[in-house]
Amino acid sequence: MWGFYIEQLMHSLPFFLKGLWMTIAVSGISLVVGTLLGFLWGIIRSSQNRTLKALVGAWVDIIRGTPFLVQVFIIFFILPEFGIQLEAFPAAVIALTNLAACFICEIVVAGIQAVPWGQREAAISTGLNWYQQLRNVIMPQAMRVILPPLVGQYVLLIKDSSVVSAIGVVDVTRVGWLTVQRVPQGLLVFGLVALLYFIICYPLIQLSNSLEKRMSSGYTRGKV
Amino acid sequence: MERYSVQRAMIEFKNVHKWFGDLHVLKDINLEVAQAEVMVVCGPSGSGKSTLIRSINRLEPIQKGELVVDAMKVHDPKTNMTKLRAEIGFVFQQFNLYPHMTALQNVTLAPMKVRKIARKEADDMGRYSLEKVGLGDKLHQYPAQLSGGQQQRVAIARGLCMRPKIMLFDEPTSALDPEMINEVLEVMRNLAREGMTMIVVTHEMGFAREVSHRVAFMDFGELTEIAPPGEFFSHPKSERTKLFLSKILTH
Ligand SMILES: Nc1ncnc2c1ncn2[C@@H]1O[C@H](COP(=O)(O)OP(=O)(O)O)[C@@H](O)[C@H]1O
Ligand SMILES: [Mg+2]
Repeated sequence: MWGFYIEQLMHSLPFFLKGLWMTIAVSGISLVVGTLLGFLWGIIRSSQNRTLKALVGAWVDIIRGTPFLVQVFIIFFILPEFGIQLEAFPAAVIALTNLAACFICEIVVAGIQAVPWGQREAAISTGLNWYQQLRNVIMPQAMRVILPPLVGQYVLLIKDSSVVSAIGVVDVTRVGWLTVQRVPQGLLVFGLVALLYFIICYPLIQLSNSLEKRMSSGYTRGKV
Repeated sequence: MERYSVQRAMIEFKNVHKWFGDLHVLKDINLEVAQAEVMVVCGPSGSGKSTLIRSINRLEPIQKGELVVDAMKVHDPKTNMTKLRAEIGFVFQQFNLYPHMTALQNVTLAPMKVRKIARKEADDMGRYSLEKVGLGDKLHQYPAQLSGGQQQRVAIARGLCMRPKIMLFDEPTSALDPEMINEVLEVMRNLAREGMTMIVVTHEMGFAREVSHRVAFMDFGELTEIAPPGEFFSHPKSERTKLFLSKILTH
């Protein structure tokens, strides 16, 4: 009985791999762009510019305070009402990029705040400008605080990417939905779906843990 | 010891005021520090000593009065502070070394970034500065691998490497174990001997007596007494100064 279904599932394997590829594409693009934006916003949030700070802060709060599924629906179904038509794929990437940027922004802010104020004062006193302070003194130290939760956040975001299946992006989750209609073995089908996510996420979880250990040790020769 | 002869005004406070919210921390400060002068500032905790010297490189902006340093108007918001800050070395109580950089990297960062000096030349300057504070053999150590006294000397070298005209010290020995205080004071003595303009906030009265040209007493945001060390210690004018001196000299 199970053997039969497993065989059927094997037939669908190329379909699953295509879905996996889609999940990797949506998450990959969103994480890269979201990381860049998240650092930019985090740096703005830690700066002296009150207006920009408040704007970014409000946006981050809105995004963190609403369900991702609703954000995806707004971008995909509601923006067209205002004349902005998007395919499912770009809509998914935009939604996930924005989500990533907002969560990463908060991680970056926490990292920058963890650097003692005296470090900035020392840098100011020697005449370094704002960018030089950030680039040479603040960020290298903040990165030690930022990296472990950043990688942890990547895991959460990759898992959140399954939400975009709701607007028809054929990612692993969507492939699961489509397959279960032909192979009525939910446990088996979604077991495979879960396994595929786990295969991507597990190395990242390990990486996050090892970064945590590495970063909490002191600064000495040869280390970060 | 021989004291460098005192010349033109390098730092000039004129009716300077500063508030933190409602708190009036600098009250009508008037002070001239001449080139090559060594001035020691002492006074009770919270009296505004740190704020006073931090205003000189605008780590703390002042709200009223005039503050002219090396002919540049620090009180004027339009003044470009980068150039002036490059001329002023600042040494903090807590060292504030960059923990992710070696001693040499700590010392050469600003010369390379601010003065745009090439790495090789900056390294030579850095090595020279570190040798000058007696740390020629610690170039590639990280701050965490150095003792407190050594860290503070690296911090002094970081200031010196910019070839500053002025060095400011905010309680440079207060965070140190007693046995390390002298190695730091020795470096500062040498600087004074070479004619560096210095303001030193410290309670090391031996240093004040031996090295400084004048000692100032700060109390509740005011400079209540300024005198050469001999006079300052033997004939303090106000009761508050006497009380303060009796407290710290017996310790
Ligand atoms: N950033 C700040 N914000 C508010 N109050 C401050 C700040 N820095 C110092 N103060 C207050 O200003 C007064 C003078 O401080 P400070 O200059 O550090 O004194 P000192 O160095 O003589 O101990 C103190 O009452 C202190 O609490
Ligand atoms: Mg102080």
